[in-house]
Amino acid sequence: MRVSLNWLKEYVQIDVEPRALADGLTMAGLEVEAMERLGHALDKVVAARIVSVERHSRADKLFVCHVDTGEREVQVISSAPNLAPGAVVPIALPGTRLPDGRVVKETKMVGEPSVGMLLAEDEMGLTDDHSGIMILPSVLAPGTPVASALNLKDWALDIALTPNRPDCASVLGIAREISAVTGQRLNKPEIKIEESTPPIETLTSVTIEDPLGCPRYAAGMIMGVELKPSPFWMRYRLHVSGIRSINNIVDVTNYVLLELGQPLHAFDYDRLKENRIVVRRAKRGERFTTLDGKTHTLSTNILMICDGKRPVALAGIMGGLNSEIFAGSKNVLIESAYFDPLTVRKGAKELGISTEASYRFERGVDFDGVIRALQRALMLISKLAGGKIAKGYIDEYPRPLETPSIDLRIDRTNRFLGTSISREKIAGFLQALEMQTGELEENLLRVKPPSFRVDLTREIDLIEEVARLEGYEKIPVTYPAIKPSEEGDAPEISVAERIAEIMVGFGFTEVISYSFISPTSADMLGVEKQSELRSFVKLLNPLSTEQSVMRTSLIPGLLASVKTNFSYGERSLKIFEVGKVFISQGAEKLPVEKRFLTALVTGLYEHKSWYGGERFADFYDIKGVAEGLLKAFGLDNFFFRADETTPWYRPGACSSIYVEGKVVGTVGQLSSLTLKRLEIDQDVFILEIDLASILDKARYARRFKPFAKFPGVVRDLSVVVGRDIQSARIEDIIKAEGGELVESAKLFDLYAGGKISSSEKALTFRICYRSRERTLDGREVNKLHEAIINKVCQQTGARLREA
Amino acid sequence: MSMDSRADQSDVHALQEQILELEKRALDELNSVRDLSRLEDLRIAYLGKKGLLTSIMKQLGNLAPEERPIVGRVANRVKSSLLEALEKAKERISSAEEPELEALDVTLPGREPPRGHLHPITQVQGEICKIFGRMGFRVVDGPDVELDYYNFEALNIPKDHPARDMQDTFYISENIVLRTHTSPMEVRVMEKQTPPVSIIAPGKVYRRDSDVSHTPMFHQVEGLLVDKGVTFGDLKGTLTSFVHQMFGRETGMRFRPSFFPFTEPSVELDIRCVICGGTGCRTCSFTGWIEILGAGMTDPEVYRFVGYDPEIYSGFAFGMGIERVTMLKHGIDDIQLFFKNDMRFSMQF
Repeated sequence: MRVSLNWLKEYVQIDVEPRALADGLTMAGLEVEAMERLGHALDKVVAARIVSVERHSRADKLFVCHVDTGEREVQVISSAPNLAPGAVVPIALPGTRLPDGRVVKETKMVGEPSVGMLLAEDEMGLTDDHSGIMILPSVLAPGTPVASALNLKDWALDIALTPNRPDCASVLGIAREISAVTGQRLNKPEIKIEESTPPIETLTSVTIEDPLGCPRYAAGMIMGVELKPSPFWMRYRLHVSGIRSINNIVDVTNYVLLELGQPLHAFDYDRLKENRIVVRRAKRGERFTTLDGKTHTLSTNILMICDGKRPVALAGIMGGLNSEIFAGSKNVLIESAYFDPLTVRKGAKELGISTEASYRFERGVDFDGVIRALQRALMLISKLAGGKIAKGYIDEYPRPLETPSIDLRIDRTNRFLGTSISREKIAGFLQALEMQTGELEENLLRVKPPSFRVDLTREIDLIEEVARLEGYEKIPVTYPAIKPSEEGDAPEISVAERIAEIMVGFGFTEVISYSFISPTSADMLGVEKQSELRSFVKLLNPLSTEQSVMRTSLIPGLLASVKTNFSYGERSLKIFEVGKVFISQGAEKLPVEKRFLTALVTGLYEHKSWYGGERFADFYDIKGVAEGLLKAFGLDNFFFRADETTPWYRPGACSSIYVEGKVVGTVGQLSSLTLKRLEIDQDVFILEIDLASILDKARYARRFKPFAKFPGVVRDLSVVVGRDIQSARIEDIIKAEGGELVESAKLFDLYAGGKISSSEKALTFRICYRSRERTLDGREVNKLHEAIINKVCQQTGARLREA
Repeated sequence: MSMDSRADQSDVHALQEQILELEKRALDELNSVRDLSRLEDLRIAYLGKKGLLTSIMKQLGNLAPEERPIVGRVANRVKSSLLEALEKAKERISSAEEPELEALDVTLPGREPPRGHLHPITQVQGEICKIFGRMGFRVVDGPDVELDYYNFEALNIPKDHPARDMQDTFYISENIVLRTHTSPMEVRVMEKQTPPVSIIAPGKVYRRDSDVSHTPMFHQVEGLLVDKGVTFGDLKGTLTSFVHQMFGRETGMRFRPSFFPFTEPSVELDIRCVICGGTGCRTCSFTGWIEILGAGMTDPEVYRFVGYDPEIYSGFAFGMGIERVTMLKHGIDDIQLFFKNDMRFSMQF
């Protein structure tokens, strides 16, 4: 809601600076989001009297005017059609900066000098009118500064209204809040009408067929009006509030909407068939053209205003083309109604229309203010457009509405807020907000809110009002005694945090990607049709197809980051994300949400330096990350086995990760086909771990193992085997054959080429033999080592490597 | 000690002479010694348990009581002079033993261990959770894809309520949405637990809004406290303490009335603009204030949904956007940067 400060001042005295007023409103719950100075750029614009107007000799659309600026007479060229000698107009003399930033200069127009510029209202930033030069009251002496003479120095306040306060969607409503906070008297606008005959009942009637949708409908009439533009003051106020001026009749309805918060509608009486109003639900499929020229097909959810034959307005939303005020309108019927908020809201939503009227009806207007607004409008119309007001008004109000009585406990109020405000003070606050407070007991106030406060129905609503008027800043700061919880933090979150910290320690940088992705990302990865990675949770109303399904994998997000960084030249990345994936369980059920760690490396793993060369990342880098991570969580009991089933990885460069016999993740290198689909021209290695699968295991505390008491014996085993023999197989044989005397067996050398044939490779293991009970003697170790060698050779076709 | 073992005057002199002579000899030797093992021998010879000076000092007992301090002073002075000479000798020998090596270029870059970067959102989220954790709030986790019931209904936002306009929602089906705030966790926790309840719930939230200052996904931290006798003053205290810890003790702040369907009274908490200090700038839309969180006393209607008695229990809830706090903390002026995952951004934090 945007309001003029000068307008507000008509209803309540404001003694503070605009910024202080804005702060005060904000602290009372009416947040002033922005403020704009109005008319302050017009300091150098003065009134000038036109002395003469002649057509330009060489340009027939231009006029050469001589004007008296008070100090001197100047010549100005203008194209405005409404210039006449004697008229007083605003002039900007050379050097004036206009509100739009232009600076007026002395120029020549088709050979004639022009000293300054005569201004239209829009050029002064007052309204959007550009039909001619603004004509000022002829009493203004030439040379008078226009802004101060016309009281144009003003501020516009942009107030963000919360949905619970429709009563503040009006200038009077905001003035009322100012009055409550400052204690200044509220001056409500005057309503004085002179009625004539005939009585309205002889002219029209109102029938409410749906009293639930329309609890109250009032109508008034004015005959013989003269349609014309509204006076400047009204157009200016509408303009500040962001409403376009149409004509004096429609402008009055909008003006009263802004002033009192009651939406009104003006019908051309003569265009209403049978000259009457019927309020009913729309028929299914009924078609209706609103005054913006759009045609709607209606459902029975829509409440309609009809005449004797046909619909003439969408109740509370927008009028119809068939009954709107037009240039020939003479007799006007004004509607002032209270429509059911939910009905209007459903209708407006269904039709996709939101108007100033529907905004207010949806939230609830003042059901007791209906007649006041109607009469205020009739009064203003008769002032602006002449005409005669019919006697009386129609007020169909089958079941009068009432605000509830609410009991407010003083002690509870103070207990809840942590305050000690007296009963008298509390009553005073509520009375300032126009509530009636009857006293029952020492501790109890029976409160009746005014009809415009639709948000006040419960005791807690009143407690909030007390807090608001006391001022939140005055409520003492205290600290709650929070009782310790028996449960700890959610392990899903603490494990995710720990993983992220470990990954950062490994030199990886965390990324966060959008949870929604494109469904084509599954095709990019070559995901099979039946895979759960295609069980997408689909958004009904996505922003774009690129973000239309919830991710089933973190890989697409990481790959997007790869492309982002490649695009500006960063081609070496170590990145990871810890986040959720979503597997649909059908549209009516919540999906399964699983947290994953996904890490990616590409490009250089080690950069060139003064102490070493560069090295590109390979499979064993990402595998090492997996191993390091599992060890950091105390999950030493893992192993890797080749995996052939993940479609986006290169066959032979992909492995499943097992912990205690169960797959917890995979590591692999993207296949060249995948890279081609993604248009990535560099090898990419990826690790994925399902957090749930390690969550429980990771939570067990590690058991301390006593140190070995007896010395170990180290022997190396170097064999030549076929290239297809996996090292883990030999390691397994060593451990199986060595039994508990083998403390560890680690591959520490891999050699191919040279003297080794191309179908073979040489592997060297370092075995540590140790007993828990005694010192091993050399012969015993030699014997066992020999046995292991034999077993390895026998089972893998290996032979000892010659030194 | 027997009377006749007293030494006479001349014994005192002799003893003093003896000590001084010993000092002279010892100093000569200490000053000329060349290696550490010989130095150790000298230490033992003079100052060891059976060393020369030690044994002289043992004889002090034979002197008359009035003479003991005279000789004692001399002996002590000599002892410390020898100890000092010993230290000097040690230093002299050690430095002589340091071989002459070429000086290193200490300005060469060191071998830096690999260092990754936690996303700034994760860092700030962790910091927020830690602050509230210290106060006694427990971290809970919940789903991103949420039932309309938890996201709206049970938070006192019925269908067709104007408050739904405040949040543009992504729908999965009529009854399933992407959560628009972390507030559904309040209901989920209260359904399962009787008071007292003190939780915070960090996580992603989604709103159908994308422009310069909005991303369709962002992060929030929700907080909830329910117990007997919790007051609006407690809400102020808890959040004041948070602001002090997060932004510094001097940070100006204000609680102002607002509206949320699931709290009453509702507040928004503004802090003094950290960019301009309150004089007005683009970041604070020239108001001097920046809103950092919404909060309020939990509405009795919400308690009714979870079966708490609002006559017995009261409490407050709050929710804050982590992006907003992170942008303020690090001076980030473009929210889109958070999810582009451009390393030029990520590696600054």
